[in-house]
Amino acid sequence: MSALLSVQGLTVRAGDKTLVSDLSFSIGAGERMGLIGESGSGKSMTAMAVTGLLPANISVSGSIVLDGQEVVGADEKHLNRLRGVATAVVFQEPLTALDPLMKIGKQIAEPVRRRLARDGQRPSRAAIDREVLDLLDKVALPQSERIANAYPHEVSGGQRQRVAIAMALACRPRLLIADEPTTALDVTTQAEILRLLDGLVRETGMALLFISHDLPVVAQVVERVMVLRDGVALEEGAVVDVFASPSHDYTRTLVDAARMFDEALGGTGS
Amino acid sequence: MSAQDLSIDRPARKHSLALSIGLALVGLNVAVALLTLFWTPYDPLNASGGRLEAPSLLHWVGTDRLGRDYLTQIMIGARTALIVGTGAVAIGATIGVTLGILAAFATRLLDDVMAATLDILIAFPTLLLAMLVVAASDSASLWSAILALGLAISAIVARLTRILAKRVLRQDYIVASRTSGTSWPGVVLRHVLPNIWPTLSVNFALQFGLAVIAEASLSYLGLGAPPPNASWGRLLQEAQGTVYTAPVGAIAPGIALVALVIGMNLLADGLRDVGDPTRGRSR
Ligand SMILES: Nc1ncnc2c1ncn2[C@@H]1O[C@H](COP(=O)(O)OP(=O)(O)O)[C@@H](O)[C@H]1O
Ligand SMILES: [Mg+2]
Repeated sequence: MSALLSVQGLTVRAGDKTLVSDLSFSIGAGERMGLIGESGSGKSMTAMAVTGLLPANISVSGSIVLDGQEVVGADEKHLNRLRGVATAVVFQEPLTALDPLMKIGKQIAEPVRRRLARDGQRPSRAAIDREVLDLLDKVALPQSERIANAYPHEVSGGQRQRVAIAMALACRPRLLIADEPTTALDVTTQAEILRLLDGLVRETGMALLFISHDLPVVAQVVERVMVLRDGVALEEGAVVDVFASPSHDYTRTLVDAARMFDEALGGTGS
Repeated sequence: MSAQDLSIDRPARKHSLALSIGLALVGLNVAVALLTLFWTPYDPLNASGGRLEAPSLLHWVGTDRLGRDYLTQIMIGARTALIVGTGAVAIGATIGVTLGILAAFATRLLDDVMAATLDILIAFPTLLLAMLVVAASDSASLWSAILALGLAISAIVARLTRILAKRVLRQDYIVASRTSGTSWPGVVLRHVLPNIWPTLSVNFALQFGLAVIAEASLSYLGLGAPPPNASWGRLLQEAQGTVYTAPVGAIAPGIALVALVIGMNLLADGLRDVGDPTRGRSR
């Protein structure tokens, strides 16, 4: 069986500046892969290329086959049929990723409605509302009705990120892309969100592309990692192998930095 | 996480004083306008007293130089003002918002062209536009005035919409919504329009007031509603010659005009605050 996502020779350019160069990787159904690298290394560019949502000034070459369909060069109509179906994305900054003027319940309801409609149903308001509340429960938000009726600024950062995850889950994507989903959160909330994501991915069997600059974070949720620097893939392999015996200096610095950070914190890492 | 953390401190949606005053002023205008459809104190077209009578119990605001009741004229003027303001803003909003949204989505080149065109249109004098519309429609009427004002407003609204929509389209939540499969029309309806509405609606109220005032100038030049449609603008102009002998004739329609314009602005401001869920937070 072919992979759910297969990226071949992906190159992303802004003008004559190369942001991602000749990147290749694939993710099978239900597989969990991490993309790590310091800020500016092209992780988000790679993620957005997969959804076909790169800014207009950016050009892409190579091939991205998602769920059997080529993304590079595809028209909006085709891409829109993939978005929310094959992939959904959780972003770094949960406050700005939610519409400030729309109640949380309504924001989650839209992808739910779209998915049910896609399955050939004409969902009733009640059915959608029920599913929205279910989703809020699933991301462990207590008092789901109250949250559904709140606006994004009325709940905490961690709760907002749970809402964003609920929105992504509402799509029931085959691949969930999480672009630094815990970076904007405090350490305790970070751990909670990671545990939640980990559990949900296992439970639903969806594949995960987890992006982070933070090695220990990535190690907690994925099986395989790819290390990116300046848009170039340095190495790729099982988490344990890459972390135990990094073959590249850059990876080694990342590992060392993470270890030192852990030791400074009293060795509470994974 | 305790239940305490979840309490949602949304400020009670209490009506502000400004909103109440706005509602009262605009509501009064609408009520009077509706009333004139069925009843006016006197016949608006024929003399009901002596010329230029001072205010009295019979004629609360006096009579004009043809002996017609002023209050009756002002009441009908309220109807004209509402029709002009609403009609012009409706035309301006429909054309302006559509063009503005299209420009926000247009390619760089097309957008530049549209932006430049709008700037030229906005600089184009409304008066000249009105003359063109009247010339094109053979005769001056209330409707030619409304159309001219609506077109003038549409350029202003289009420019504002374009800027506001572009700002919204750059937001993260647009990309987030797109990644879950929202189409461009869906993005406009669900995110762009609701997020630009608070600013747009205040501008509409402003344009409403300006349209009512502009209609007055057009009427004076014979480019607005011809008699017997009483408009506050024409009342003001007619009272010019007698402003020293019968000042009430100029003051009364002036007050009515200012009251409606202020009322409209207070209403729009108040409604925006009530409709803004982030109110009470830093904005
Ligand atoms: N719209 C853009 N146009 C040109 N360059 C961009 C744009 N957005 C980001 N970049 C550049 O692309 C590089 C990779 O960015 P990104 O993928 O966001 O990195 P990260 O790994 O932190 O997610 C950075 O050097 C950034 O400056
Ligand atoms: Mg990034």
